[in-house]
Amino acid sequence: MASVEIKGIRKLYGDVVALSDINISIPSGSFFTLLGPSGCGKTTLLRTIAGFHDQNAGRIEVDGKSIEGLPAYRRDVGMVFQDYAIFPHISVRDNVAFGLRQRKVLASDISKRVADVLEVVQLGAFADRMPHELSGGQQQRVGLARAVVIRPKVLLMDEPLSNLDARLRVDLRAELRRIQRDLGITTVYVTHDQEEALAMSDTVCVMHQGVIQQAASPLDIYLRPENRFVATFVGACNFMSLSKEGGQFSLKSSGARVFDAAGFNATEIACAVRPETLRVASGHVTPSPEEIAIPAKILDVSFIGREMEVLTITDGGEQLKSLARPDPAIIELANGSSVTVLVKRDDLAFFEATEVGRRVG
Amino acid sequence: MIRQLRRPDFWTVVTGVILVVLVVLLLIPIIRVLLLSFVDADTLKWTLGNYVEVFTRNFYLKGLKNTLFVGFLGTLGACMLGIPLAFFTARFHLWGRAWISTLAILVLVSPPFIGAYAWIMMLGSNGFITNFFGRIGIETPTIYGAHGIVLVFTLKFFPFVFLMTQTALMAVNKSFEDAAENLGCTPLQRFTKITLPLVFPAISTGAIICFVLSIADFGTPAILGRGFRTLSTIAFSAYRSELGGVPTMAVTVSMIMIAISMLALLAQRRILAKRRYASSLTNLPVKTHLTGWRNVAVHGFCHGVVLIAMLPSLVVVYTSFLKTNGPVFVGGYGLESYGRIWRTAPEAIANSFLFATAAVVLITAFSALISYVIVRRETTASGAIDFMMMVPYLIPGVVMAIGFVTTFRSGFFGGIGAAWLLVMLYFIRRLPYGVRSTTSSLRQVKPSMEEAAINLGAPPLTAFLKVTVPLILPGLIVGSLMGFITAINELSGTLILYDAGSITMPVSIYLAVLDGEFGLAAAHSTVLLLCTGVCVYFVFRFTENRNSAFL
Repeated sequence: MASVEIKGIRKLYGDVVALSDINISIPSGSFFTLLGPSGCGKTTLLRTIAGFHDQNAGRIEVDGKSIEGLPAYRRDVGMVFQDYAIFPHISVRDNVAFGLRQRKVLASDISKRVADVLEVVQLGAFADRMPHELSGGQQQRVGLARAVVIRPKVLLMDEPLSNLDARLRVDLRAELRRIQRDLGITTVYVTHDQEEALAMSDTVCVMHQGVIQQAASPLDIYLRPENRFVATFVGACNFMSLSKEGGQFSLKSSGARVFDAAGFNATEIACAVRPETLRVASGHVTPSPEEIAIPAKILDVSFIGREMEVLTITDGGEQLKSLARPDPAIIELANGSSVTVLVKRDDLAFFEATEVGRRVG
Repeated sequence: MIRQLRRPDFWTVVTGVILVVLVVLLLIPIIRVLLLSFVDADTLKWTLGNYVEVFTRNFYLKGLKNTLFVGFLGTLGACMLGIPLAFFTARFHLWGRAWISTLAILVLVSPPFIGAYAWIMMLGSNGFITNFFGRIGIETPTIYGAHGIVLVFTLKFFPFVFLMTQTALMAVNKSFEDAAENLGCTPLQRFTKITLPLVFPAISTGAIICFVLSIADFGTPAILGRGFRTLSTIAFSAYRSELGGVPTMAVTVSMIMIAISMLALLAQRRILAKRRYASSLTNLPVKTHLTGWRNVAVHGFCHGVVLIAMLPSLVVVYTSFLKTNGPVFVGGYGLESYGRIWRTAPEAIANSFLFATAAVVLITAFSALISYVIVRRETTASGAIDFMMMVPYLIPGVVMAIGFVTTFRSGFFGGIGAAWLLVMLYFIRRLPYGVRSTTSSLRQVKPSMEEAAINLGAPPLTAFLKVTVPLILPGLIVGSLMGFITAINELSGTLILYDAGSITMPVSIYLAVLDGEFGLAAAHSTVLLLCTGVCVYFVFRFTENRNSAFL
């Protein structure tokens, strides 16, 4: 158990800024996820913590002690790799024992600790197998066992589930989280899968172009995104254009006044709304006071079992997607039918209209 | 706070050591040779006179012309045998296909000079084929001179074209050919318009190897040439006649040889630069069955070519068991030749194995380290090392050996024994075999393997020995075996460096052939062939793609 402080980390590849002034504080025992699209710098940051390359500036502290002067083999951080990296020429048992042998742990202790950790990852019966006899999911469990058996101060995981098929990914996700909680080990987890990040983490840190966009609890990330990039990367968003009259912004599609702000032009503000907050009703509907009604036509309805996805087009030509519980009355509507899209005023969010524009309301 | 100072990274140190070794054993000798070619032998002043002499005197110009002549014709012959052979074995069901490939590989790795003198035993002035036809009154063409050399080159070097083209043909996506047929091509048009252009890069690579090896070959023209001199024999005899003095003419001729090889390689690179075909193996070619006379003809051609190419080795083995009295074959069979090599030159056998083994131990160690630096470290230094690994392919043995003599026999390094020089020569000349094989093995190993080991607490050297080396072991073994085969068969460089105490089997064979001691030469050659065959067997055991292991 150890806390991790990352202070002012900068990493350049030639002229390309891979990491720009990264500051992170990870409390002991928590599950911290770096989330972002490929190339955002999340893996670079993880590998910097592991010591596989040097940062250009900044410090990394584990339990208050700076570790950036230590070579990778003395950092005492466990790592689980995306491609498992199970040594193919030695057995499961020897793989798991590798780190303990490097640490000159007594042979009797090694066999006990290896047996214990293999039980934890439910591979007790596979100790003498060779890696190629295991499935991908089993190999990744070996990877996890091998990383945690040395009782590292910090556990690093680099997209450990991305090479597995969807079903297994969900199962192993829960198991990883359970083991991490049981061991109480501070974990830094890298993924580009938002669902994975939200489901597993204590803190989700969204990165883009080497910059931290927002680090917060999964709930805050989803419900209270701090900028436009976080809102669009985590979950889906509809964007609606605004018109401005005397410091007041209205939705173009309905004319309803939604936002007061003097300092911006109409094109500088984007209005976002999550698909699952939109309600589609057939025909013309009068909204309640806290709702806005947007007249629209059905473009396409797809029924996907648990939900239905309704794509509508407003009279002004904007497309709005709604995600809701299946409603036969809507599913049976012909394309082109007139509907009303209802949105609660509280569900609207306003951002500056740049890619990483901050939230203004 | 005390910030821990890091020692220089392990692999940085290794890179430094590798660079020093390559500079001392490779660059300095070559640069010495280059500089020497601009020195006047008598006044020791800088001059272009040596080059002027080479390009004006008929003796040298004739040698240059001869070299290019046998080089081109030998390469052409190798292509004419190798391409059809590759096509037949890749596209038709052939009886004994594995056998054909194995024989081709044996031809490829057998000692190069054996071909030359075995053909003398068959077609020389007292050869058994000559004598046989002579008895019935037919005069056979002599084997000596240009056409003999071309014949030997053709039969010796066609496996390069064959194996490379075959590998390429088997990887051509069949859909291309199907598409051509669908668009209206006849089978012949399909072959010339689609298939042949697609495998052209492989053919040209094989042909360039043939050409470079033909230019550098010393044993064949030395044994078969008689009056026909090539640059390598001229360089060797110039070196011999300049002994005691400064070998300026020998090195100048050598530089011309290197220049030809480099031009050939550059030309090939230019041709290939425009041809990059991504191959996706979605639709592998299928083999068809042949019937009737075509079937007989194709089988006859394929088996005929490899059998004729193997003929010299078979003749040599057969001859070694003939009863001899001194240099004379007295009829019947016996082991006298083996008795004589054991009595007269046991040290040649011992030296050959000792030097080759010592060189291979070095090759193995350095191959593993160099391939790691090349594959895993993307620095200027690793790029330079990668580039330098190409150089030994281009430098003929005679040249490298002269470079060693001028660098290590005098001055700062003076007084290094011939045995050590030979080990170093074999090491540096055959190192690329080990590095290439190990490098391709290492490229299959994901970097995360070593990172995992380091992350678990293994220092770089431990991670390398415990994880990387076991994973690249097959490539390392194959590369080392290839290094061993080629080291123990080395002739041209050894001839320049050896002394009384460091004679090797190839040198003994060469001297025996010059003395007309064919029984003695045959017994030595058989020992070499046997040892080469054993190595080939182990290469087969350790490799999945047999063709590429030998190229």
